[in-house]
Amino acid sequence: MRNRSEFRDRALLVLVLLLLLPAAARAADREFHSLVERMSAYFEKRPMRFVGWLNFVANRFTSEGVSHIQMVIFDDIDTSRLPPDEEFESSLERLIGPSYQPFVRVHDVRGGDWNLIYIRETREESFEMLIVSIDSTDAVLIKMQVKPDAMHEWVDEPVKKGRDSRYSANDFR
Amino acid sequence: MNATHKKVCNRACRVLFGAMLFGVFSLPALGQNPRLDIKNLEPLAKKAAEVVDVNLDGSLLRLASKFMTDEDDREGLAIIKNLKGIYVKSFTFDKPGDYTTADVEAIRSQLQTPPWSRIVSARSRHDGETTEVYLMTAGEGGNILGMAIICAEPKELSVVNIVGPIDMDKLSKLEGKMGIPRLGEDGKESSPKPEGHHEKP
Repeated sequence: MRNRSEFRDRALLVLVLLLLLPAAARAADREFHSLVERMSAYFEKRPMRFVGWLNFVANRFTSEGVSHIQMVIFDDIDTSRLPPDEEFESSLERLIGPSYQPFVRVHDVRGGDWNLIYIRETREESFEMLIVSIDSTDAVLIKMQVKPDAMHEWVDEPVKKGRDSRYSANDFR
Repeated sequence: MNATHKKVCNRACRVLFGAMLFGVFSLPALGQNPRLDIKNLEPLAKKAAEVVDVNLDGSLLRLASKFMTDEDDREGLAIIKNLKGIYVKSFTFDKPGDYTTADVEAIRSQLQTPPWSRIVSARSRHDGETTEVYLMTAGEGGNILGMAIICAEPKELSVVNIVGPIDMDKLSKLEGKMGIPRLGEDGKESSPKPEGHHEKP
C-alpha cells in the first residue's frame, strides 16, 4: 500500500513537472508572439513566412552559451513611415515593454541602420537578449537566451558585440 | 470659524502645499546627481556617421558582477559592485572637423558646476586626441560620487559617465571594458592623477 502511494506521489510530481515545463515555454512563446504582433503593426508588415528552418539551423549551430533563438524577419518595410531618429528609440522601447532594459544601441546615421539590444534577467541565472536590427528595407527581431559566460563578452566589449550583431542579423536577411 | 478665517486657513494650506511641492520637486536640483544628461548630445548625431550608446545601469551591473569570477576580474568586480551605472555615448565621424568643441559644450557645461572638478586634461599633439576626466565628490576631499570622461579624437568623440563611488587607483582595470575607452596611450594602462593639465608627447 505504502509503495503504491509513493509511486502515485512520484507519478503526480512527474506529471505536474511535465505540465509545467511546456507551460513556461508556451508563456515565453506567447510573449514573443505578442511582441511579433506589435512589431507587425508597427512596421505595417506581416513577418516573413518559412523562417522556421532558419531558427532550427541557428539553434543548432549557434555559439556556446547562446540558446533558444527565435527570429522573425520583416522584409520590404517602409522605413520612411517610421518615427524620426530622435523619437524612434523611445517608440521602440514602448513597443518592447519595460521588462527589457536598453543595453547597446548602434545607429549608422548615413546608412539609416539601427541595431538595438535589450536585455533582461531570467529566473535561471541567465539572460534574455532581444536584438532589433533595422536597415533601409528589412527588420530582424531576434530573441535568445544568453548564459553568464557568453554574457561576459557582451559586457566586456558591448560596442564591438553590438556592431557584430548587426552584421550577424544581416546574414539572415 | 467665520468665513474670513476659513479663507485665510485655506490660502495658508494652499501656500504650504505649494511650498512642499516646490521643495519636493527642487530636491534633485539641489542634490548632487552625478548622472549626466548625455541625451543633450543627441543633436550631434546628425553630423556623425555612427552613434553608439551603452547603458549599464545598476541591475545590469549586478548581473555583470555575477560572472566576474576570474582572477583578472577580481579588481574590476571590486569597482563595479558599488557602482550605480556606466553610461557611454560615442560618435564616429567621417572626417576630422565634422564636430567642433562647441558641440561638446552640452556636456562640458554640466561639468562646470561646483560638485564637479576636472582632474585630468591631456592632449596629444601627435594625433590631436584630448582626454578630460572630471570627478564629482561629496564636499572637499569627500567620497567620489561619480565620474565623467570626455575623449575627443579628430574623428571620434566618446563621453563616459560612471555613477557611484569609484576607487581611482583601480579605474585602469575598467579601461577598454564596458565601452570605456582606454585612457592610456596605445592601450597602456594609466591611472588618472589629480593634476591640472598635461600633454602627451
